[in-house]
Amino acid sequence: MTSCSSSARKASLSKIASNRLQKELMEWQVNPPVGFKHKVTDNLQRWVIEVNGAPGTLYAGETYQLQVDFPEHYPMEAPQVIFIPPAPLHPHIYSNGHICLDILYDSWSPAMTVSSICISILSMLSSSPEKQRPADNDRYVKNCRNGRSPKETRWWFHDDKA
Amino acid sequence: MHDANELTSAEEDDYYSGGDDDIDYGDAQEDYNYEYGYGNDDDDDDDDDNGDYDFMHNDSDADEVSASRAQKNYTVLKEEDIRKIQGEDIMRISNVLSISREAACILLRRYNWNVNDVHEQWFADEGRVRKSVGLFEKPVVQFLNAKEVTCGICFDNYSHELVHSAACGHAFCDSCWKAYVSTSINDGPGCLTLRCPSPSCGAAIGQDMIDMLASDEDKEKYRHYLLRSFVEDSRKTKWCPAPGCDYAIKYVVGSGNYDVTCSCSYSFCWNCTEEAHRPVDCETVAKWILKNSAESENMNWILANSKPCPKCKRPIEKNQGCMHMTCTPPCKFEFCWLCLGAWIDHGERTGGFYACNRYESAKQEGVYDDTEKRREMAKNSLERYTHYYERWASNQLSRQKALADLQQMQSVHLEKLSKVQSQPKSQMKFIIEAWQQIVECRRVLKWTYAYGYYLPEYEPTKQQFFEYLQGEAETGLERLHQCAEKELQNYLNAEGQSKDFNDFRTKLAGLTSVTRNYFENLVRALENGLSDVDSQGASSKATSSIAGSSKGKGGRGM
Ligand SMILES: [Zn+2]
Ligand SMILES: [Zn+2]
Ligand SMILES: [Zn+2]
Ligand SMILES: [Zn+2]
Ligand SMILES: [Zn+2]
Ligand SMILES: [Zn+2]
Repeated sequence: MTSCSSSARKASLSKIASNRLQKELMEWQVNPPVGFKHKVTDNLQRWVIEVNGAPGTLYAGETYQLQVDFPEHYPMEAPQVIFIPPAPLHPHIYSNGHICLDILYDSWSPAMTVSSICISILSMLSSSPEKQRPADNDRYVKNCRNGRSPKETRWWFHDDKA
Repeated sequence: MHDANELTSAEEDDYYSGGDDDIDYGDAQEDYNYEYGYGNDDDDDDDDDNGDYDFMHNDSDADEVSASRAQKNYTVLKEEDIRKIQGEDIMRISNVLSISREAACILLRRYNWNVNDVHEQWFADEGRVRKSVGLFEKPVVQFLNAKEVTCGICFDNYSHELVHSAACGHAFCDSCWKAYVSTSINDGPGCLTLRCPSPSCGAAIGQDMIDMLASDEDKEKYRHYLLRSFVEDSRKTKWCPAPGCDYAIKYVVGSGNYDVTCSCSYSFCWNCTEEAHRPVDCETVAKWILKNSAESENMNWILANSKPCPKCKRPIEKNQGCMHMTCTPPCKFEFCWLCLGAWIDHGERTGGFYACNRYESAKQEGVYDDTEKRREMAKNSLERYTHYYERWASNQLSRQKALADLQQMQSVHLEKLSKVQSQPKSQMKFIIEAWQQIVECRRVLKWTYAYGYYLPEYEPTKQQFFEYLQGEAETGLERLHQCAEKELQNYLNAEGQSKDFNDFRTKLAGLTSVTRNYFENLVRALENGLSDVDSQGASSKATSSIAGSSKGKGGRGM
């Protein structure tokens, strides 16, 4: 197609996926989740969303960027969600931007939305008691060097709700 | 609750009706060996009139004997059997708990298809159980009186008739449901625990929904996962590990002997699913297999199927099952495949005319190699391991060869033999039985080498006794193998009926019987950890207890 960007190697959105994304986009414009800003582009398949750390938390006043890529069969398949580095310092966020959050992988349900993902991520950030990388950060990031998607990782989720 | 449990266990006992056969088994077997040992050639010719021997030579009875040999502590299940049992269990839970079959199925899967567990958990705390599997009693959301409902996935609006929901009431349109179900089924067996798509709802999606929403192909996959779950999640069942085999084995947990033989003829250990390995225990097998993989590089050369003839040095290939090799003409040197020593030297010194097991004595006498250097190497642990490994692997190869020979015998030779000797094929069963025995003995013998390797070196009396028993076993087996392989050739290639064919029958059947008896006693003795042997070398007492039955009853010592 016209673009040679990284999204070119992915299959384009199915009709069901683009219908659903149009609806999500409309809903977002009417009722955006608090603390998030969607930088609207003409690329429905990749959303870039600005995250503002919630006031009164360790991340207050900080701004990060989420990149959300939608697969052909969204919402049956989960979108790929990563922080564009620099990613926030958090025990479940790797320095390459990958996020260890169950709803992005095993616990994804097609009834979830970008908006509900954003709310989960913000609550994950807000509840963190300390700013630090996951213990296995270096090893994990090294293993992902060839541009591996976090969806290819076999995650096992910490139940500590940090 | 108690009634339900008792009902189940009673029925399960019923299912394994072989339970108390164990007691009779020993006696039946003694009779069997007794009769067989004294079998004479006449009874084969008119077995219909011969009451005493009838049960030995009648097909179905013989099968029963071999089944009782396996002590019936397991059942081989075909796919239909598995489905039937699964269906019965589901029905039972559905009836006792007064819930739908779909709900019963979900519960059983949750508790690994253990009917008792479902009963216990349910009657202890129905609410908790319902919550854990997502069996809702009433919807958590009600449709308002609005004309249309919004599908929770595509966000389009539909009239009430066009949406479905699980017991929770969360509504999704037909095509979203179908995509949801299809994605899940094609993701793997996780579809068996499918829940409502609504986040944190958790209502279970049962087989009724699957049947309504999935394509025929996906329904089939779902049923297949359900079947697999029944076999794989239950503590009582396992798939037969033989490649391409679809049978499962249902085992009476806690019933002792782990060796099971599938209907596909593969024998394996139910406990560790390695190939059957009596008399060696599972831990030893695991250790041995690990050891073999660690040493595999060193051992590669051993597995090579050719060795130079010890006399003329031409490479020769082992293509027969027994260890007695004869080099090709003009050399014709007869030697032992294992130690490459002259066959003529194989007698008392190696533990019997046909045996070659005496590693210790060979090492001491320097039979392997006469240089000092080699003698030093004999102390090396690799050398010791090599001795056992080589014999273990040789018996494995011999067993495979014997299996192939058995098949060849059944498919080709028996027919020919029956023509040449003008005797009905039904009279040739003794040959098949001999070969089956050889296959089984090679398996046992193979594992005795792992057993020997792990025998503690500080118990020399046990070691000596073990080697003596193993030597006897080897001698007996080599004799049987030789008879079934080489002597048979004479009758197979004869111009016409051989006068002494009936003598051959008596000999081979006798050898089969004696060898079977000996090996069964050997397995028991080794499984008992050679407990008959006390530290003061009372091996003669133990010897008589092992060899006793074959000598006393069969009248043919090994
Ligand atoms: Zn829908
Ligand atoms: Zn629901
Ligand atoms: Zn099988
Ligand atoms: Zn085992
Ligand atoms: Zn030669
Ligand atoms: Zn030898």
